[in-house]
Amino acid sequence: MRRLPVILFCAVFALSIWADARILGSEGHAEDWWSRIYGFFPLYGFLGCLATIWIANVMGDLWLTRRENYYDSKERHE
Amino acid sequence: MNSIPPAVVLLGGALALPLLPRSFRSLAFVLFPAAAMALLPSLEDGITTLRFLSFDLVPLRVDRLSLAFGTIFLLATLLGGIYAFHLKELGQQVAALIYAGSSLGVVFSGDLFTLFVYWEIMAVSSAYLILARGMERSRRAAMRYVLVHLFGGSVLLAGILWHFVDSGSLLFNGFDREGAAYLIMFGFALNAGIPPLHAWLADAYPEGTVTGSVFLSAFTTKTAVYVLARGFAGWEILLWAGVIMALYGVVFAVLENDIRRLLAYHIISQVGYMVAGVGLGTETAINGTTAHAFCHILYKGLLFMGAGAVLYSTNRTKLTELGGLARAIPVALSLYMVGAFSISGFPLFSGFVSKSLVIHAAELGHEGVIALLLYLASIGTFLHTGLKLPYFTWFGPQRGLKPAPIPWSMYAGMTLTAGINIAIGVYPKLLYDLMPFPVTYRPYTTAHVAETLQLLVGTGLGFWLLIDKLGGKSTITLDFDWFYRKPAPLLFRLTAGSLNRFFTAAELTTSNLAHRLAQACANPVEFASRFLSQSGDRGDRDIGGDKVLYDPNRYRPPVGFIILIVLSCFVVLLAWNLFLA
Repeated sequence: MRRLPVILFCAVFALSIWADARILGSEGHAEDWWSRIYGFFPLYGFLGCLATIWIANVMGDLWLTRRENYYDSKERHE
Repeated sequence: MNSIPPAVVLLGGALALPLLPRSFRSLAFVLFPAAAMALLPSLEDGITTLRFLSFDLVPLRVDRLSLAFGTIFLLATLLGGIYAFHLKELGQQVAALIYAGSSLGVVFSGDLFTLFVYWEIMAVSSAYLILARGMERSRRAAMRYVLVHLFGGSVLLAGILWHFVDSGSLLFNGFDREGAAYLIMFGFALNAGIPPLHAWLADAYPEGTVTGSVFLSAFTTKTAVYVLARGFAGWEILLWAGVIMALYGVVFAVLENDIRRLLAYHIISQVGYMVAGVGLGTETAINGTTAHAFCHILYKGLLFMGAGAVLYSTNRTKLTELGGLARAIPVALSLYMVGAFSISGFPLFSGFVSKSLVIHAAELGHEGVIALLLYLASIGTFLHTGLKLPYFTWFGPQRGLKPAPIPWSMYAGMTLTAGINIAIGVYPKLLYDLMPFPVTYRPYTTAHVAETLQLLVGTGLGFWLLIDKLGGKSTITLDFDWFYRKPAPLLFRLTAGSLNRFFTAAELTTSNLAHRLAQACANPVEFASRFLSQSGDRGDRDIGGDKVLYDPNRYRPPVGFIILIVLSCFVVLLAWNLFLA
């Protein structure tokens, strides 16, 4: 079930890196150094996605995640 | 020249609404913002002053910035009104109108005093939209919400007073970098949801009513963006605050299980773009901020409408309890996805033409790192709002849910909002013509479209690979609200708790005393005899085995007792005459 979307995304991913050859240098492209790297945006999207999930999960495991009734037990003071 | 502030139309509407027949109220709710919108073109640029006490107030300031925000606020009220057409609760309708009206008041006010009054009305009226859900959780959330906002309002007031003492003027324009301005900025930043002052947002918005949260998502943070743009354009601290916000929201959204709380964290993230635009402060950046606020109200409203439709039909909002709704409510899914594509910045949807304007402004200002970090936030946005939330709500594991039918009005509101999102995406001139400064930027270049699609494809690949890590867990996430929610019981015990105990004890003593006194006065003889005889027999008496409930003889004093009293009186009188007279 899940293999198909992954294959599809990989195909488009590869295609978009290839397409960069045509896009680089076209009108309206920003002048920053990274926008001249081949396949920067798809890679940035992929790695950024992994980084976001990883950072959040580490922070969650270390100290942010609590059981659902964490606040309830202590707030009954009335 | 027309000088009726648009806020007056909505606030007047809120007053008139209870007097109208019940069946007509929903229509009237939509007509008021429509009427105010019809008034907008007749407003001429400039200010209208009003003498109040010894102050010159400016209840109406019209320029392109206030008109842009005014237009979108009225549009949001109108669309929200259509979405909530089925709702027959007067309280919520009035509160929503007052809330929208006071937000408009903030946008069109040209002095700090008028602004502050509207600011506080906004806080209280919006709290009702959370309270109206009628659950214990929402009541508590509403109380926290209102307390936090009153605190922010107090700091704002302190700043305004300080500013007035220093400068002698109440006019609301760009601030100088001085102490008072920082206090005012604190008040504004709290409403904008800049960390660490943002926790109220993710705490309260998910607890609102189905329709209430749609209104909440539109006004409070965006009025704050407006006032920041008006007063603090070009302050670099806001540039970094905005970037931190944009990333903070998406990171916290990863851990979130409640769909409306996930969307609330994305408000923080999206408002980050606007605040960063304010921090840049150039004409392009202010255009970007305004455009993004405009589109954000539309697509975030649509997303909250979609999440509201799920809540309405299933009574659930947690990813761990939702799933497999695609067959049951497919229309809600498709309309939600329009919002999701818009917030993710897909080409042909509204977010594409507004978000890129902010990033473009950063690139123009040679703030490449800022642009890169904003792209990163954009990745997180698509990951959650565009992939995780819809996947685990409408697809994902089947939970055998039987959703209740969704009213046509909710579909109508969502369809219209979705239509406007697409219209702006396809024809950005609609939006750009409303901006405060002329827009020369063209979003549809080959490079920009390609970059955006590439970024989204990369994100999509990451999502499918890590999908097992992304399913909701039935947990909550600590945030800065911990700092006031955890110590609250202790603080309560220390301050209000001991005082309360003292008052309770005093009240009990007083009421006991009063009760005894009343008893004594009602029947002094019986009271006196209780002390004289000390007999324990106070109850009903048994006479020959029958219980007699009331025996008048019991309360008649014996004749001898009366004679004793009379004789004693004589003795006293005699003694008085003999010895004192």
